[in-house]
Amino acid sequence: MTPINPAGDDAPVLEPGLTKKRILICDDEEPIRLLLAEALQDSYDIVEAANGRDALRLATKEHIDLIIIDIKMPQVHGLEAIERIRERDSNVPIIICSAYPLMEDDIVVKTSDIAAFITKPIDIESLKSRITELIGR
Amino acid sequence: MQKRTLLLLRFVLILSTILVMTYSERDLNIASPGYAVALAYFISNLALYLIPETKFAVPAVSFAIFLTDLVAVSLAIYLSQGIQTDFYLIFFLIIFIASFAQDIRGSIPIAIVASIVYTWLVYRFNPGVSLMDSAILIKVPFLFIVSLISSYWATATRREIMERRKLETSARKLEDEVARITAEETELRRYSEMVINCVASGVIVVKDDGTITTINPEAARVLGVDQRDLTGRNIKSTQSLDMLWQKMAQAMNTNRSMERLQISIRNADNELVPIGLSLSPMHSPNTELSGCVGILRDLTEVKELERKLQHAERLSYLGKMATWVAHEIRNPLTAIDGFSQLLSYTRDPEKIEAFSKEIHRGTRRINHIIEDILTFARTRTRSGAVEIDLHRLMTEITEDIANVRVFIDGTAGAVVRGEEESLKSLFTNIITNSVEAMDKDPKIVVRFSKTKNWIVTEIVDNGRGISAENMQNLITPFFTTKSRGTGLGLAIVKKIVDDYQGKIEIKSEEGKGTTCRVYLPTQEDK
Repeated sequence: MTPINPAGDDAPVLEPGLTKKRILICDDEEPIRLLLAEALQDSYDIVEAANGRDALRLATKEHIDLIIIDIKMPQVHGLEAIERIRERDSNVPIIICSAYPLMEDDIVVKTSDIAAFITKPIDIESLKSRITELIGR
Repeated sequence: MQKRTLLLLRFVLILSTILVMTYSERDLNIASPGYAVALAYFISNLALYLIPETKFAVPAVSFAIFLTDLVAVSLAIYLSQGIQTDFYLIFFLIIFIASFAQDIRGSIPIAIVASIVYTWLVYRFNPGVSLMDSAILIKVPFLFIVSLISSYWATATRREIMERRKLETSARKLEDEVARITAEETELRRYSEMVINCVASGVIVVKDDGTITTINPEAARVLGVDQRDLTGRNIKSTQSLDMLWQKMAQAMNTNRSMERLQISIRNADNELVPIGLSLSPMHSPNTELSGCVGILRDLTEVKELERKLQHAERLSYLGKMATWVAHEIRNPLTAIDGFSQLLSYTRDPEKIEAFSKEIHRGTRRINHIIEDILTFARTRTRSGAVEIDLHRLMTEITEDIANVRVFIDGTAGAVVRGEEESLKSLFTNIITNSVEAMDKDPKIVVRFSKTKNWIVTEIVDNGRGISAENMQNLITPFFTTKSRGTGLGLAIVKKIVDDYQGKIEIKSEEGKGTTCRVYLPTQEDK
């Protein structure tokens, strides 16, 4: 099993306008990234980031259609990453996928127009349908 | 001589004169001139009462008074024709009084004047009298003899009186001084008692034989005894204070202060009271002053606070643990759950194998987390203690580590009594931390050394080191900087070291590496 677009400086930069929409998966847990990639790679291009800093870098550098992001992460924390992504792009849909419940109360979450909250463990079918609702296939 | 006494004696003199005069005339003839003189004499004496006392102290004044007396008596003798009579005796009285009033310098001139007047009177009434006549030869020297003797006696008496007065004065001064010192001492004692009674800590002082000399109200309260009952009694006679006495005796025998002792004493309600104790022996060549001073503190509240704090810490751990468990277990759980969902959609054998591997990895991770929690929660069991060679243990732990150069040196006799499992967990956690902190040319050096009380294991790595900020949270459970860390590693290390009654030192410099020293007791025979 090979992740489609592992996070890193040498990751191929894909141009927008291709048939597949692009999703950025940001989670410090490798198994979770693998799982989401496996679940979504048939319908979408997947870009991965292992921490908030890489997520920010990728979100700036590339065209991203949707972001799935964890909250508790080393280096740049998930909430900080969301805040900074929103500073640049107010439209990209963001899905928070966290092991912590009740993230809705956080001030950053409230002001950042979060498209969906998913609490781990994940129901893959409902995640897929939510993504389809947001950006289509 | 006092004015009052002098005048009183003069009245006696006047009365004697009248008496002798009346007797010598054999008849009471008030109209005779002698009585007129006596009356004048009497009135003059009354008049003297008007003269202030101080004047009498002037020698000339008293001398004049005695001269007047001589003249008056002589005149009375002369007028009553009584030289043959006992008037002579009156002179003795005058000389006697003069001796009293003054010293020999007063009485001798009076005696001379009296002798002259007397001799003149004798000649006046017996013109042809011989100097050898007894009236002159015997009586005149007698006047001098009486004068000398009475002066001597009066002077001696006066001196004695003065000395007695002086003695009395100094005795009175001494008495005053004693009273003042006694009052001062009482005040001082009351003051020091007040100070000791005011002290918030308990104070108890015993002599070396155990007699309680001081016990303040706080000490009595802490020890659950009656302060008044115990002062002056022997501490050994109160059974509940046995432990206290033992410690005090120890402090006195070794002549060493003992600080921060903790003992428990059963109070009047039969409750065990935890007491903090500091003892200082007092030593003096005078055994009366040798003894021991004890400062006591009731630790009930402190212990209660400690207990509450521990409870709060436990609750806080529990809270943190719950959050941590939620996060840490949910991640592998999500992987397991997710991959098992994916399994149902795929027929590709390669994918099926990959997904199954991920599921297995997730369960292993969950198991690892549970192991950590259990290690942290487990209290050490003493039963399994055996001798463990740390050199061997460390070799086993480090032999599986790939890509890291490990050097082990130092004493081969690094042996402690304990359990293999807990010691393995202790050193594995430290080594794992080191391994995970190292990037290029990873190297770990383990050194053993031995001191009197400790087996020291030093683990040095050349990893990233620990920042000052993270150093503070180093052993806080669930604190981690690793993406996959449980945050329990060093908390477990600390717990195991505590269980062994050892200690741990961690020194680190960011960018250079970390040195970790574990001290385990040489003989763990408890």
